[in-house]
Amino acid sequence: MNCIELEESLVESEDGSSREQRAHLSACPACSGLVEELRSIIATAVELRGSAEPSPQVWNSIEMVLRQEGLIRPQPTPRPALSSFSARWGWARWLAPAAAAVLLSAGILLYRASVADKLAQQVSVAAPALDAGMDDNDFLQEIAAQSPQLRPVYEDNLRRANEYIRDAQSAVNEDPNDAEAARSLMDAYQQKAMLFNIAMDRSLP
Amino acid sequence: MRPEKKTLTDRRQRRGDELSEAAAIERAKQGDAEAFQVLYDMHKRRVYSLCLRMTANTAEAEDLAQEAFLQLYRKIATFRGESAFSTWLHRLSVNVVLMHLRKKGLPVVSLEETTQGGDDDSPKKDFGTEDVALAGSIDRLHLQKAVESLPPGYRSIFVLHDVEGYEHNEIAKIVGCSIGNSKSQLHKARMKLRDLLKLQRAEKAGKA
Ligand SMILES: [Zn+2]
Repeated sequence: MNCIELEESLVESEDGSSREQRAHLSACPACSGLVEELRSIIATAVELRGSAEPSPQVWNSIEMVLRQEGLIRPQPTPRPALSSFSARWGWARWLAPAAAAVLLSAGILLYRASVADKLAQQVSVAAPALDAGMDDNDFLQEIAAQSPQLRPVYEDNLRRANEYIRDAQSAVNEDPNDAEAARSLMDAYQQKAMLFNIAMDRSLP
Repeated sequence: MRPEKKTLTDRRQRRGDELSEAAAIERAKQGDAEAFQVLYDMHKRRVYSLCLRMTANTAEAEDLAQEAFLQLYRKIATFRGESAFSTWLHRLSVNVVLMHLRKKGLPVVSLEETTQGGDDDSPKKDFGTEDVALAGSIDRLHLQKAVESLPPGYRSIFVLHDVEGYEHNEIAKIVGCSIGNSKSQLHKARMKLRDLLKLQRAEKAGKA
């Protein structure tokens, strides 16, 4: 076995332990160096398994989709983690029912999507209720206090939700009988409510 | 597959241990948000790292990890526990990544001549030329960098075999190549990594 053959033999027998390989390796420092180096690469490769941490954005996006698709459903009994988190949130406790109410009315609205004037009427009832107490800055400050790395994520999502609400609102203002616009507005509020819901559900460390 | 090293880093993971995987799966089937998150926390590093090593791109890896978990969660109601949950998830993740690579037109197996002997783009055939010794001194970060510079066709099989612990017969099935092909590609990938690591070492020595 020469050096080329030794290298080729490593395809089938990587550790150089066959009788022929050992015979060559004992007499060839270059090839035994090669085998050592490949061993070292193989040994280190395992350390790459599970070695990287995804950003929090990944879970946030997953959770958002799970909620949108209805895979996450409201649970009958609140978990302890949730209630202690809600207690710490104090000021935000009312948000859960408020958000739920918005989600519920959104559901009803979507169900009756064809009745345009009713839509517009209900939107105008639901919207101020949501607007009234939801101070975005308080919310973000609370997020930052609990989990600073999540703040930019929520900030970004909140900004987008607010933009969506503004756009939809101006469409509704233009034509209060426009069912499509009313539905968009409801969707927009739903998206924002979902953000608050996610923050409430998540037991931040 | 080789057994996995357990790393318990953050609080959620500890909470995850309290809620067993089996219990979390059952609760996730009921739509429990926390259960989904516990399962995510148990497996996120493994899935994300796989995606990252295979693509060498953070943004793509995040999208792919998200996609893998979503596909899993959408099918979780059908999970009956015939195979291990982690095996199921990892296999699904591999498929998501391979699908992505194929969509991008990247080779999963190197397009180079795959039978032995046709490898002429390897810079050195003559060992011993001012050989920088590597043995015993390869650290994870250097190897990680070298894997990132591997051509995609070599990267996949190296990651699947040496990092993730799949056997050649499994890889052949997953990737759709022969076992012999998988073996020779793996060997070439390791040889290329060795070159890349030596290059790194030489560059570092040159700068110092
Ligand atoms: Zn030799």
